[in-house]
Amino acid sequence: MSEIDEQLREIIPRLRRFALSLTRNGSSADDLVQASLERALSSWAARRAEGDLRAWLFAILYRQFLDANRRSRRYARMLEFFTGRDDAEPSVERTVIAQSTLQAFDRLPTEQRALLLMVSVEGLSYKDVAQILEVPTGTVMSRLSRARQALRQLSDGEISSPSLRRLK
Amino acid sequence: MISLPPSERDLHAYVDHQLSEADRRLLDTWLASHPDTAAQVRAWQHDAQQLRAAFGGALQQPVNADLDPAMIRQRLKRQSRRHLASAAVLLLAVGVGGFSGWQAREMTLVHAPAPMTDALQAYRLIAQQGLLPADYTASDGGLQQWLDRYFSRASRLPDLSAAGFQPVSARLLSTDEGAAAMVMYEDRGGHKISFYVRPPGPKNTFLARGSRNDGDLQADYWSGGGYNYALVSPAGSPAAQQLKQSLPF
Repeated sequence: MSEIDEQLREIIPRLRRFALSLTRNGSSADDLVQASLERALSSWAARRAEGDLRAWLFAILYRQFLDANRRSRRYARMLEFFTGRDDAEPSVERTVIAQSTLQAFDRLPTEQRALLLMVSVEGLSYKDVAQILEVPTGTVMSRLSRARQALRQLSDGEISSPSLRRLK
Repeated sequence: MISLPPSERDLHAYVDHQLSEADRRLLDTWLASHPDTAAQVRAWQHDAQQLRAAFGGALQQPVNADLDPAMIRQRLKRQSRRHLASAAVLLLAVGVGGFSGWQAREMTLVHAPAPMTDALQAYRLIAQQGLLPADYTASDGGLQQWLDRYFSRASRLPDLSAAGFQPVSARLLSTDEGAAAMVMYEDRGGHKISFYVRPPGPKNTFLARGSRNDGDLQADYWSGGGYNYALVSPAGSPAAQQLKQSLPF
């Protein structure tokens, strides 16, 4: 038990960082991590022993994020209707032009953010990422290529093309 | 082994250190004589470095104790105990025989429960978590007649219409104290108040009129006609305030 907890404690900062890159908000990031750890601990037996623990936890967190996002999108739309703005997306001035890589990153769609964080920042293998996103490895590579182009384009301060916007 | 010229995938794998050592060296040599592609690769490497730098700080966040695995285990244990408690106390009268409430009894022995705890639990389960479909609704006919079938000597359903509440649905429950009935009232805003009635239990525990708060809920309880009663409502809500003024007793 305590050995497992030790392993988990080492990965928690990475989970928090992944959550932060997805939610772009510290407190909802930690809520997401907490929900994911609860899920992980209660389905511990279902874990494949030979798999990478970090990749398994990343997969749980990513799925939880997508589920929560789907649920909240309905409410976000209502909120947008009443307040005239959409809190889930970066503000207008930030979408006009991106000056830094991080700002550009924030403007990418969820899956591209997840992909770049896992590959470029965490250094996870394409195979692990494929399992997390539940797509073939070849798909990971072509999506990675698109994500890199998009990030490049945005960091160069180019105004995003309509086709890129539609990816959101 | 990759082939030259490299595919775009090979170039990404190169950036991500996912090529074999031999392939890597092969590409190093090839890139040296292809400055355009090399610049492209360097730009990707640069972006990756920038991202690593930008996210480096996120690893140094102050520890959040809520995320500690030991805390999470504790919380999970508490949750499952709570679920077990509710499940044991609230056996649906219809069909779910057999499973005796010994776990519930053991739990209630540990600390004597505050009056009408089961009424509060029923409210949480049914009004707040939406479990257990109604056995009977106002559209099926009069709820008073329905209640009379099971609790003929019980006091009449309270009239809460002055506070804007009407009885809308009813459920039959089985508890350690005997069969219980819960009638749900709702106002136009969807606020819920439950009227709960059951026998006094094997120890004939009759209650002096009283009221208590439990978390976010408030229970008003009393005895009469051989039964115990509770009205459960959200504590401190405008509905509960109004209710207090319009209670018929």
